[in-house]
Amino acid sequence: MSTPVQQSTPAGPNPKTGTGLHVIRLVLGLVGAGIAAYGLLGLPSQLGVAQLVGLLFWLACAVLLHDGLLVPLTSLVGAALNRFTFGLGSSSAAVLRSALMTGAVLTLLTLTLVWAQSVARNTSVLEADYAAHLAWLWLALAIGAAAVIYLLERRTGRRFRRQKTRP
Amino acid sequence: MNRLTDALAAKFASPVRSTRLTVVLGRWLGICFTVCFATGLFSHGLQNPPSWMLFPTRPVGIYQLTQGLHITSGIASIPLLLAKLWSVYPELLKWPPVRSVIHALERGSIALLVASSLVQVVTGLINTYKWYPWPFPFRETHYWLSWVVWGSLLLHIAAKLPLIAGHWRRARRPREAEVTTAAQVRTTAASAGPGGRQPPAVTGRWSRRGFLAAVGVTTGAVVLGTAGQSFAWLSPANFFAPRKMGTGPQGVPVNRTAADAKVGPLAQNPGWKLNISYRGQSRSYTLGELGALPQAEHELPIACVEGWSQTARWRGVRIRDLVQAMGAAPESDLLVTSLEPEGAYRFMSMPAVYTADEQTLVALELNGGVLELDHGYPARIIAPGRPGVLQTKWLQSLEIL
Repeated sequence: MSTPVQQSTPAGPNPKTGTGLHVIRLVLGLVGAGIAAYGLLGLPSQLGVAQLVGLLFWLACAVLLHDGLLVPLTSLVGAALNRFTFGLGSSSAAVLRSALMTGAVLTLLTLTLVWAQSVARNTSVLEADYAAHLAWLWLALAIGAAAVIYLLERRTGRRFRRQKTRP
Repeated sequence: MNRLTDALAAKFASPVRSTRLTVVLGRWLGICFTVCFATGLFSHGLQNPPSWMLFPTRPVGIYQLTQGLHITSGIASIPLLLAKLWSVYPELLKWPPVRSVIHALERGSIALLVASSLVQVVTGLINTYKWYPWPFPFRETHYWLSWVVWGSLLLHIAAKLPLIAGHWRRARRPREAEVTTAAQVRTTAASAGPGGRQPPAVTGRWSRRGFLAAVGVTTGAVVLGTAGQSFAWLSPANFFAPRKMGTGPQGVPVNRTAADAKVGPLAQNPGWKLNISYRGQSRSYTLGELGALPQAEHELPIACVEGWSQTARWRGVRIRDLVQAMGAAPESDLLVTSLEPEGAYRFMSMPAVYTADEQTLVALELNGGVLELDHGYPARIIAPGRPGVLQTKWLQSLEIL
């Protein structure tokens, strides 16, 4: 398979890249850089050295955790799903992955909630049983996805399925 | 090294990824970030007003709406940001990492955008849980980072504008193949990749549209599961937000309890009086005297910076009546002091527009009962359209400026 690596910089002249677009880019870029610089210069006006170092640590950790852990992990899951297709069609695959994606993001959210609950309990905040809600959500996702996939696959029919080959 | 990164990129390759996908996700995320930035600036302006600040008091739920949008669009941007970053992940593995000074600057600005966006949405979310597991002050950092995020976003849009413009609309495949310049061939071949076209229907794989649908479903689910803390009509689906409408004493959630504020004995002192001063003269009202004055009752929301809100029935004395009784104009700025011995919100400035508003109350009752201690007994401020932290509880004095 060829690598669908994207072009990071615009490639040369384009019919749509007129002088007008160049001016817009320049103005947008300068305004953007100015606004970002305003924010960057504002930080040390209200944060002490130790706090700035702490912020830098969080910024670095955010990128490392995301790029070094989260994306490789989800890519592994995606690769596994590509391998074990169970002969499902592409619509069914989308339904299955939608359910998994929804469940995964809400699990991430709930883990944070439960963690916060254990350290920062307060009157009328974080009162619900989020773990139970999450369990119900996964159950609903499983039932919902199974039902939709069943209907999709039945509609596709046997004839079409026999034509398809595994990658 | 080149071969290694190419091999890595191939490992992470997916026919779903394409510039068109990134553009579509980028549009959704850009809208969320912009809504978040605008509503955040409004909230900041209400709390740290510049001299030209406008203070809208109608509709009375305006802050409930803007801050609800702030938190909801922030939560929606979490799955969108993850999907957007996933769609460009192979970019990270490109070799050489830096081709020129301009390229280095561009990658640096992207690193800044990615890092600040991730920290902004994660700390923003965790702040709504009233949990602060980081070594920097949340409010100030969130404020300044928002400029960094939005500024570097504009810079990023400027850098990618030709790509964005080129993929703004879905490619019309037959014509695109006909009219191609050499440059376009390079762009479409390299950037659109196999995903730019309709990917062949492979068993068990999904298409770009399938992926977009999944991201849409996920974002919808996250919003549906949490937005009920801010919007009453979504309250039945609120399973994953830190607050639930209708909970807490008298059916209203509490952010800062009397115990947190260490205000219990002072507030429950039977000798409590509200002191009002104007030009060196002052006057004190006991709770009984306040209760004997003409009372007004209004349905007003209490809306917190953390996004939750709750509409309730408040009853008490119009603040403009108290100000006029001192011989001052109702359009006066006030300095309101709480009994709280310390804390950032012990003092509150009230701009004249709120003082003059007939719905701004020194509230003594909530939902038909005497204010509970956690809601600010014996008396608190409730004004239309202001952040919850400025609805000062456990009143001590009002100074007419």
